[in-house]
Amino acid sequence: MEDFEEESLSAGSDGEDSAMSDGELQEAFAKGLLKPGLNIPLEARKKAVNNVEGLKQCLADFKKDLAWVERLDLTSRPLPDIVSKADGKLTTLNSGEIQAEDDFQREMYFYRQAQAAVLEALPRLKKFNISTKRPEDYFAEMAKTDHHMQKIRTKLLAKQASMEKSEKAKQLRELRKYGKKVQTDVLQKRQKDKKAMMTAVKKYQKGMTDKLDFMDGDQEKGKKGTSGAAGPNAAKKKRGPNAKRQYKDQRFGFGGKKRGSKWNTKESHDDMSGFRSKAAHGKSGKNFGKGGKQGASKRPGKNARKKMKNRS
Amino acid sequence: MAAFKRKRGSGSGAGKQAKKVKFAENATGKQMAKPGQESEKEHNIPAPVSRGKWKNKERVLVFSSRGINFRTRHLMQDLRTMMPHTKADTKMDRKDKLFVVNEVCEIKNCNKCIFFEAKKKQDLYMWISNVPHGPSAKFLVQNVHTLAELKMTGNCLKGSRPLLSFDPTFEKEPHYALLKELFIQTFSTPQYHPKSQPFVDHILTFTIADNRIWFRNYQIIEEDGSLVEIGPRFVLNLIKIFQGSFGGATLYENPRYQSPNMHRRMIRLATAARLKEKQQVKELQKMKKSEPKVKEKEDPTQDVFVTPAEEKPSDIQLVAPEPKPVKKKKNKEFKRQRQLKQKRF
Repeated sequence: MEDFEEESLSAGSDGEDSAMSDGELQEAFAKGLLKPGLNIPLEARKKAVNNVEGLKQCLADFKKDLAWVERLDLTSRPLPDIVSKADGKLTTLNSGEIQAEDDFQREMYFYRQAQAAVLEALPRLKKFNISTKRPEDYFAEMAKTDHHMQKIRTKLLAKQASMEKSEKAKQLRELRKYGKKVQTDVLQKRQKDKKAMMTAVKKYQKGMTDKLDFMDGDQEKGKKGTSGAAGPNAAKKKRGPNAKRQYKDQRFGFGGKKRGSKWNTKESHDDMSGFRSKAAHGKSGKNFGKGGKQGASKRPGKNARKKMKNRS
Repeated sequence: MAAFKRKRGSGSGAGKQAKKVKFAENATGKQMAKPGQESEKEHNIPAPVSRGKWKNKERVLVFSSRGINFRTRHLMQDLRTMMPHTKADTKMDRKDKLFVVNEVCEIKNCNKCIFFEAKKKQDLYMWISNVPHGPSAKFLVQNVHTLAELKMTGNCLKGSRPLLSFDPTFEKEPHYALLKELFIQTFSTPQYHPKSQPFVDHILTFTIADNRIWFRNYQIIEEDGSLVEIGPRFVLNLIKIFQGSFGGATLYENPRYQSPNMHRRMIRLATAARLKEKQQVKELQKMKKSEPKVKEKEDPTQDVFVTPAEEKPSDIQLVAPEPKPVKKKKNKEFKRQRQLKQKRF
């Protein structure tokens, strides 16, 4: 940041002493030192003191010639940053320029500097038989108490646990989307199996079949099912969308119903799919004729339907 | 640091005795072998841990002025923990002049001093000085983090000797070279100091970035150079270097130093200037609106293509109406909701 500096309106005017008399000012103007315009005295900016000689002298006086063992000081460049080079993020800055604003980079720079110093110092220390590891049975006071280290440990563990939890939650959320689909499929399959089982049991009870195949259940079906069930499954799949869906597709699907398509063609005449023999021969059951309304209301209630569903 | 009583003259002449290991209640790990036990007030002179004679007599006095906050206090305590060759003293009154510090150091028989000065309960200044004649330096301390912060996970032996690591930039400038020498003499624990531990298990780094000196303290875990930060950590912003101790001729002044007051003032001025500008713009707009409007000259070619409209019953106004004051449109998104609420009551 600059010190406060008063700007002069005319560029290049020196700091004039305001106590100059008029005569002197006139002379200065004549000489060309003063320029027209308002001249404001400019304070000479205090130059920061940098007494290099004094500093060197002081250092020479002050320096103590101690053996390296006493001082244990090192000057080291930081180790080359392998990680960021691998990432390709290493910007071309000379090692003198540390980005003080970028926290991570700055701290990593300090870390690497310390590492370089340690690697340099260890062999030197070994020569003096000073070790950096204390032996297992050496008990002494530490800078931080045990209690404090426990606190640190619990905090780290808590952090780790919370991270794991959040990871799990994320995974669960992903799974839920997929899982819901799978769940509905599984439920449907179970219902289907149950229904099949019950119908088989009923048939046996009513005497329609005398084989007890269904009792074997999953064992046989597991083996046969892969080959045998493919057939009926395929047939079922071919049926695929039910009649309602098919009707709607026919009317609205694939660009909708084509207007003006032929109605009474040879194919439509020969098509017997819409033929219901009972309806054609006039036997539509008890509801044909008078009982129509009763039939409509003859739909059983919810509980009754549920019972029926479970039973069948 | 609680002062402990020592029985003088008993058993010290016997030379190197075996360490008396006292077991504390928790036998988990670290137990006390050193004289700094707080549970006992009196005990025998402990055998020195060191195996040699302590020659390099450096003693550092660490103390502060009044008005420091908790962080500074903890920082001082941490420095005393890290450096066993330090002594503490009571807080100095602000009205005493700075050279009184020299006398205090002499009384305590210290030849280096770290003095913390707090101003306005906000700014922390640190003096490092070589007491009798030598140079001294004043710094502004920023970004203080103490040992007790839970993010600093490392630990080291209390009083173990540190490695000191300096940036190569310290060699380039003469003032940095002087500072380096000062730091070395102050921060390095003398070998065979009675309170020091014989292992070297932590490293202090001094780095220059952004025209400031960054201090870090790392624990050496493995021999391959894996480190963990212990703390404390702070940033020193050099203000001045003096030739004498707490006074004397100025040898160096940092041209890029801006006092914290000035810094705060700059910020305040900037915000004030911004507000002023906004106000000025608003006023200008108001003035423009209330100015008498200039009537343009009639253009004869304007009426060429005009087709007269139907005659309407005209309401002739002889005087121009007052221009309506433009109301600032308030965002009334929830007006309906507010009205509903009012209706309910």
